[in-house]
Amino acid sequence: MKKILLLLILTLSIGCAPWVQVGGLYKTESHNYSVELPQGWMRWNKGDDLLITRDGVLLQHIQIVRLNTDEPLKHTKKKFSKVMLPQEVAEVILDNIASNKDILNFQLIENSPLKISGNSGFKAVYIYKNKDGLKIKSIYCGFMAEKWFYGIIYNAPERYYFDKDIATFERVLESFKLTKTT
Amino acid sequence: MRFAVLSVLFCFIATGCATTGLPPVTKDLRLEDDERRLWNRSEEEEKVINRSGLIYRDKELETYLNEVPQKLLPSEIFVHIPFKIIVVRNHLFNAFAYPNGVIYVHTGILARMDNEAQFATLLAHEMTHATHRHLVEQFRDIKNKTAFLATIQVTTAGLGVFGGLASFIGAIGTIAAVTGYSREHETEADSEGFKLMADAGYDPKEAQKLFMHLKKELEEEKRKEPYFFGTHPKIVERLENYETLLKAKSHEERGGILNTEIFLKNISRLILDNARDDLKAGRFKIAERGVEKYLGTNSESAEAYCLLGDIRRQRGEGDDIERAKDHYQRAISINLSYPDSHKGVGLIYYKRGEKTLAKKALEFYLSLSPHALDRGHIEEYIHQCQEGGKQ
Repeated sequence: MKKILLLLILTLSIGCAPWVQVGGLYKTESHNYSVELPQGWMRWNKGDDLLITRDGVLLQHIQIVRLNTDEPLKHTKKKFSKVMLPQEVAEVILDNIASNKDILNFQLIENSPLKISGNSGFKAVYIYKNKDGLKIKSIYCGFMAEKWFYGIIYNAPERYYFDKDIATFERVLESFKLTKTT
Repeated sequence: MRFAVLSVLFCFIATGCATTGLPPVTKDLRLEDDERRLWNRSEEEEKVINRSGLIYRDKELETYLNEVPQKLLPSEIFVHIPFKIIVVRNHLFNAFAYPNGVIYVHTGILARMDNEAQFATLLAHEMTHATHRHLVEQFRDIKNKTAFLATIQVTTAGLGVFGGLASFIGAIGTIAAVTGYSREHETEADSEGFKLMADAGYDPKEAQKLFMHLKKELEEEKRKEPYFFGTHPKIVERLENYETLLKAKSHEERGGILNTEIFLKNISRLILDNARDDLKAGRFKIAERGVEKYLGTNSESAEAYCLLGDIRRQRGEGDDIERAKDHYQRAISINLSYPDSHKGVGLIYYKRGEKTLAKKALEFYLSLSPHALDRGHIEEYIHQCQEGGKQ
């Protein structure tokens, strides 16, 4: 009985408090990366994704995603392939975003090459309107390593908030390292 | 207490049993109070859809499409119901009408049509819902039934994955676009609509053909769609109804207006845009079919051949890459100045390690499109070609 009660308390406490204050090195062996997180931000591990924000996800957030390239994407039927150029990988990711029906007026501003943790990748900048008509600006940096795709994303309303945390995002991006490289 | 309960029960039954039937709009229309409220609410829902960023803007196309309702109904009806067609950028098969005559048609269903007669069939069906005041009848029928709200909530919750338009339509739009009307109303819309299109001189045989296309595509692609015209059983129902009507009216041998050329001319840009959306969503086969349809009326389009090349290159199965190269080269032979064909062929050469050809094609692309958003990637490939490395 005690065990059940303990389990229940544990479950409830996990369920009620997914946000953790962060700062400094964050290392995840299971996801094979490490990254320096900004002081005073809040972290939420949502499945395979890591989400951090300072003022709330609607005002700004940085997200680190890891996708199994063998699994289907949510909004496009396009697939990754091992022989893809970084630009083609970007195309799959961006088409997945543009095909998301909750993302309106998607507009690509930039798609350029970028080295991330020594891997050839891309940096895409785009804007869109969310369901509430708010204009959001995003930077999506990503690369493929073996069967995984890693993405480091910055999202914020275009007006006022976007510019405020670009520097923080760039520091997070620069600090991103794969733990085991092949 | 007992009296109060009985009164509520009586009111509920009285409302539930109130006459729901209304005469169709002819020369006169006096909106009833609840109907006026539905019209007002429809206007509010329409404002939300129109602001959503989902509207497909093409002035010429709008003008053309809005001429078709005038051919189907006498002008006095338009005094009461000013029909207006608005195109929604959405690849799914659907069209739906608000009671005040605003009809939303998806690019997905328009792109599948062969001629104006098929468009008139769909339109006449939707216009009948408005002229026969089906929505107010439907609302009266379900008024005060708590199950209604639950149904709407469950239906719209299930649409989450389709997002977009589904996020913007309200309760009225949900009936019109998703759940559809009662079987009696839909059958009436089929038969009255069929009469309208046949009386307007359109070829009645076309009524069935649109739904045959949709049925075939839903089956081939194993597509599952939430909207009324995208659901397999509803399509089969329409097909059966039109087949019966065709036989009953002995229209099988009758010809009529098709207006194929003018229709395809007006929707050709939409077909290509829809194919581009299909490509983004990875529906390669449908995208290819769309571009081929576009080429049927625009055989010398470098943009279309380049898009065919993109479809093949991005799918990359079997002989796709070789075919993609052919398409790009055809595009180049039609229009040397269309930049994306040079990029496409350049990327194929680059990945094959044919550096000289890759460099030439990619440099030409940048010369034609100096402000290309992917300039950085292309410069990197050119640099790699100069260095001698493969990638």
